[in-house]
Amino acid sequence: MDAAAAKLIGAGIAMLGTIGAGLGIGILVSGAVQGIARNPDASGDVQTNMILGIAFAEAVAIYCLVVALLILFVG
Amino acid sequence: MEALGLNLGYLLVQILNFALVFIVLRAFVFKPIMDLLDKRRKSIAQGLQDAQVAAEARANAEKDAQEILTKAQAEANQNIREATERAEVVSKEIMAQAESDAAKAREAALADAGLERDRMLADVRGQVAALAMAATHKLIGDALDEKRQRALIDEFFSGVKSGEVVVLEDTGLSGASAEIISALPLTEEEKEIVRQDITSKTGSQTVTFRVDPSILGGLVVKVGDKVLDGSVSGQLESLQQSLS
Amino acid sequence: MNNTRPRILGIPNRYLTLAIIVLGIFAARVYAPVLPHIQVAPERLSHQPLFTLPVIGPFYLTNTMTAMVIADIILLLITFAVWKAVKSGSLVPQGFSGAIEAFIEVLYNMTESTAGKWTKKIFPYFGAITLLVLVVNWTELIPGVDTIGILEPVVEHGNPIEQVTSNIYTLIRPEGGTDSDHAAGFTLIGFVRTLSTDLNFTVALALISVFMTQVIGFQALGPGYFSKFINISALWNVFNKPMGIIDFAVGLLEIVSEISKILSFSFRLFGNIFAGTVLLFVIGTLVPVLAPSLFLMLEIFVGLIQAFVFGMLTMVFMSLATKGHGDHEEQHDH
Repeated sequence: MDAAAAKLIGAGIAMLGTIGAGLGIGILVSGAVQGIARNPDASGDVQTNMILGIAFAEAVAIYCLVVALLILFVG
Repeated sequence: MEALGLNLGYLLVQILNFALVFIVLRAFVFKPIMDLLDKRRKSIAQGLQDAQVAAEARANAEKDAQEILTKAQAEANQNIREATERAEVVSKEIMAQAESDAAKAREAALADAGLERDRMLADVRGQVAALAMAATHKLIGDALDEKRQRALIDEFFSGVKSGEVVVLEDTGLSGASAEIISALPLTEEEKEIVRQDITSKTGSQTVTFRVDPSILGGLVVKVGDKVLDGSVSGQLESLQQSLS
Repeated sequence: MNNTRPRILGIPNRYLTLAIIVLGIFAARVYAPVLPHIQVAPERLSHQPLFTLPVIGPFYLTNTMTAMVIADIILLLITFAVWKAVKSGSLVPQGFSGAIEAFIEVLYNMTESTAGKWTKKIFPYFGAITLLVLVVNWTELIPGVDTIGILEPVVEHGNPIEQVTSNIYTLIRPEGGTDSDHAAGFTLIGFVRTLSTDLNFTVALALISVFMTQVIGFQALGPGYFSKFINISALWNVFNKPMGIIDFAVGLLEIVSEISKILSFSFRLFGNIFAGTVLLFVIGTLVPVLAPSLFLMLEIFVGLIQAFVFGMLTMVFMSLATKGHGDHEEQHDH
């Protein structure tokens, strides 16, 4: 196995970490939508906090992306 | 870093570019629009306040209008009541007037009718006397002369004999007013005789005459609350009672 | 009945769509789309540097710089339209500037509900970042971006070219399959490449966002703001309250979280838009007809969402910074 192929495989494996972020965002949005459905008056606050939470969950996926990019182009 | 394209020069260019964009947007977009939003909010608040004031004014106006309306209704009711009362008074007056007129007219008509009847009865009296004389003449022949007969008939009808009222003899009647009822109207001379006789004997000041053919003959004299029945019908009745 | 259907130039839209699909099929048959070379760093449009700075080094004109200029021109036009509409004095702007004004009002109300009395300070950052990123993201949708440019001779990953007219050439697929590895030929460097796919832009924005958050926090809370990071009072009382050492460690973690914010801000925007661009390349190569239109619609949505998220997160972090940390909240809010 040459180094180029190993890089590609490594980048692919690195992006597996996005599974967690995807699950997290899904759970988060489901909770937020239920909250809005139960109390539509609070939709503004819930949306703000939801986007904030999505940002934190997504940060994990972004670290994966950074690692993948580093493996592919820098390493 | 080179592979990712990160470069301090480009980074500085981007930072300066954002600073430029930020300053331009803040000066020419955000500040005017924030002012605009503030102004619009204020004008909306002002509009709401104005609307409230207008609503209050309208409520006041409605109250005033209601009061005016109530007052006007009260006045109208008052006017209607007064008008009704006045109309009732007027109508009562008119009715009273009409009644009195009618009564007058009736009295006048009665008086006319009475006069007419008296006149007709006076005419009849002559004929009755003639008939009676003819009948007597047939029954008893020429026993009585005509003058005597006429005197008898007059006496029968008028109840007056040789200047005195027949029924008044030996009665101690007295009263302020007297009413004389005869079967046929009396002549003026007979009335004068009767008036003088009654005045002298009873002291009555006023003497009225009435005609009632149902008493057949003679006189009925009412003085005060007493009645002297010198009528032929009354004599016939008493005769009938004594006979039966 | 027919009048209710939307038309362009008197032709019903369905026939127009059909004609475009047929034309697309012909175009794809004549000049088959070629998967361009994908690289993270922006391409240089010239071999000579524009100028050389003493410390930083040579400065080349890159294709993301042209995108930056285009985005700036569009923003200037928007600014001019809004400025003219506001200057006219009417309380309700009409048309295009009315749409911009409505968009800004939505952002402003959102800021107001989150930031409270610091709205006037925070809102310009929110609005400027959102508008700039939105315009930059949507330049991706302009036809010709990434597809019109200079042909560069390369020694590997090259494609053969074909002359269309005297000065215009096009890349074509190499004979015998799409495997173009290790083949000398040409590659395309677009004149314009979406600015969000340049890490310099996203890192610059992230740096500004995080730095201004600290500035606003300092303005709101004074020097006490920095006790959020280095909790001296907790360290001072560590003999009375040994748990204070944990507070101090949490303060150090806050510094890490600020730095990770830069990373997540910049790579979120870069990752989304770069992935979108690559997706459009790949889809355009695999299914050249109709499918790219659907993914362009998706890119409109993604561009809007990413612009909004970037601005909104900046706004939320800034308003959190004004509200202090823990027990400081009591002191400064009352």
